[in-house]
Amino acid sequence: MKRLGCALVLGAAGVGTAWAACGDSLPAAGRQLLERGGVQLVYAPQGGSVPLGRHFALDIEVCTAAGSPAPALLRVDADMPAHRHGMNYRSTLRTLAPGRYLAEGLMWHMPGRWRLIFELAGPPGQPVQRITHELVVE
Amino acid sequence: MNRPGRWWAHATALLAALAMTGAVSAEPPAVLDFTPDERARILRHGPWPPPPALDAGNALAGRPEAIALGQRLFFDARLSADGRLACASCHRPAQGFADGLPRGVGRSVLARNTPALWNAVHERWLGWDGAADSLWSQHLQPLRAASEMAASAAQVRARLAGDGDLACRWQQVFAGKVDADDAERVLVGTAKAIAAFVGTLVSARTPFDEFRDALARGDTIAAARYPLPAQRGLRLFIGTGQCSTCHVGPRFSHGEFGDIGVPFFVRPGVVDPGRHGGIAALRASAFNLLSRWSDDPAGEAALKTRHVQAEQRNFGEFKVPGLRNVALTAPYMHNGSLPTLDAVVRHYDQMDPDRVHADGEQILRPLRLNEGQRADLVAFLGTLSDPGAGTWRPAALAPCARPKAGPGKP
Repeated sequence: MKRLGCALVLGAAGVGTAWAACGDSLPAAGRQLLERGGVQLVYAPQGGSVPLGRHFALDIEVCTAAGSPAPALLRVDADMPAHRHGMNYRSTLRTLAPGRYLAEGLMWHMPGRWRLIFELAGPPGQPVQRITHELVVE
Repeated sequence: MNRPGRWWAHATALLAALAMTGAVSAEPPAVLDFTPDERARILRHGPWPPPPALDAGNALAGRPEAIALGQRLFFDARLSADGRLACASCHRPAQGFADGLPRGVGRSVLARNTPALWNAVHERWLGWDGAADSLWSQHLQPLRAASEMAASAAQVRARLAGDGDLACRWQQVFAGKVDADDAERVLVGTAKAIAAFVGTLVSARTPFDEFRDALARGDTIAAARYPLPAQRGLRLFIGTGQCSTCHVGPRFSHGEFGDIGVPFFVRPGVVDPGRHGGIAALRASAFNLLSRWSDDPAGEAALKTRHVQAEQRNFGEFKVPGLRNVALTAPYMHNGSLPTLDAVVRHYDQMDPDRVHADGEQILRPLRLNEGQRADLVAFLGTLSDPGAGTWRPAALAPCARPKAGPGKP
């Protein structure tokens, strides 16, 4: 509870969410913490898990160390590396608060290993940064 | 008939029935040694029936009076321009609500095989190319297409108004006189009523479902009634065949689209773009789930329409059909080019991966089965049929009783 309160305060201050609190405001069921290049990304599928063959949404929070602005989340996509194809749907992304997003319209139509792809804005002049996470749905 | 003769007739009939379900086998009843992973995969093809579904964006779905009107309209050839074609002319109940022809025949020979209608209410997309996102919008297509029923809105309204029973049923459903309504609204209402009827066509349980549920509850005696050839075919289906990657879940389809190496030339020089064209048609449709005609344009069901994306690989992709009642709906594939289930299995057995899109599904490989394995797969597919589907009969409808005007009403 203490960490949740901290996240809310920092979010409201508009400096991005603090590292220690990242994702605490998201539903606990199915929540995943990913980290790359000084950025933490936490996502939680609405409903607690990613379903097979039904559209789903992800609650997402992007954080950096306290005080530094979180990079903007640009896109959420997914593919099946072994099958070499992606989804048949393009997700839409809504910014709910600084560092907080809702991705809607994702759908995994096949059972197997899927890779979630989060694209984040890189520093000025740098390419888009990708954070990925693989999941198996049956 | 004397008693021995009658006994023999019963025995022969029983054997014939068992033979049709594949239950006659030289092998004693048994259950294969399915691994826990195989059992889990098998269980994912049920339970059946699934929770009820309603046609998206259709306020008439599930309403008994609309279903009755839709049933009348489904079998009424007067909806077509020349009065010769009903929905049931191509979607014949005795043939799994398909027509048994390689390609549909309306006012001319069409480009694709007539899809069966069983369980269509559970489909995400309708038509081989998924150009429709609801049953009702799909039904507008054959109603209006020049090569099919060629109906105009004004003609449909006139024919409904000119038939006492239909006009009465219309008034029951819509609480207004059909000839007082806008013609296009009548056409859409007609499609929604037909869709309400088609939405009731959910197949019953099959021998596979009995086996699957017996496995789920650990009842090996009941499970052993499922023929061994079908069990072996099922093992191939969920295992090395990888069939259940696309033919997944209780309906045996993921409801999306794939290129499986079936040629998509309609005739020399003319190609069927499949899903690529379907997405374009969906977006251009004035009757999709985002349109003013949908009864729920902002709802959950329209999510798919808002988010669907076109890819280059969609060219030549066609819908992965559900497999329930598949034995009733030969010939197969979007162009009806494969006459039997055995031919379908042989297609996958010998397919040429080079004919599949380079950026398409990468797990398709020729199965290279032996003759016994091919027969087992066909035996399994034969157990996915609802035994009563071939003898389906429409509900007997009582004559329509026109709603009485209450006191003070005009």
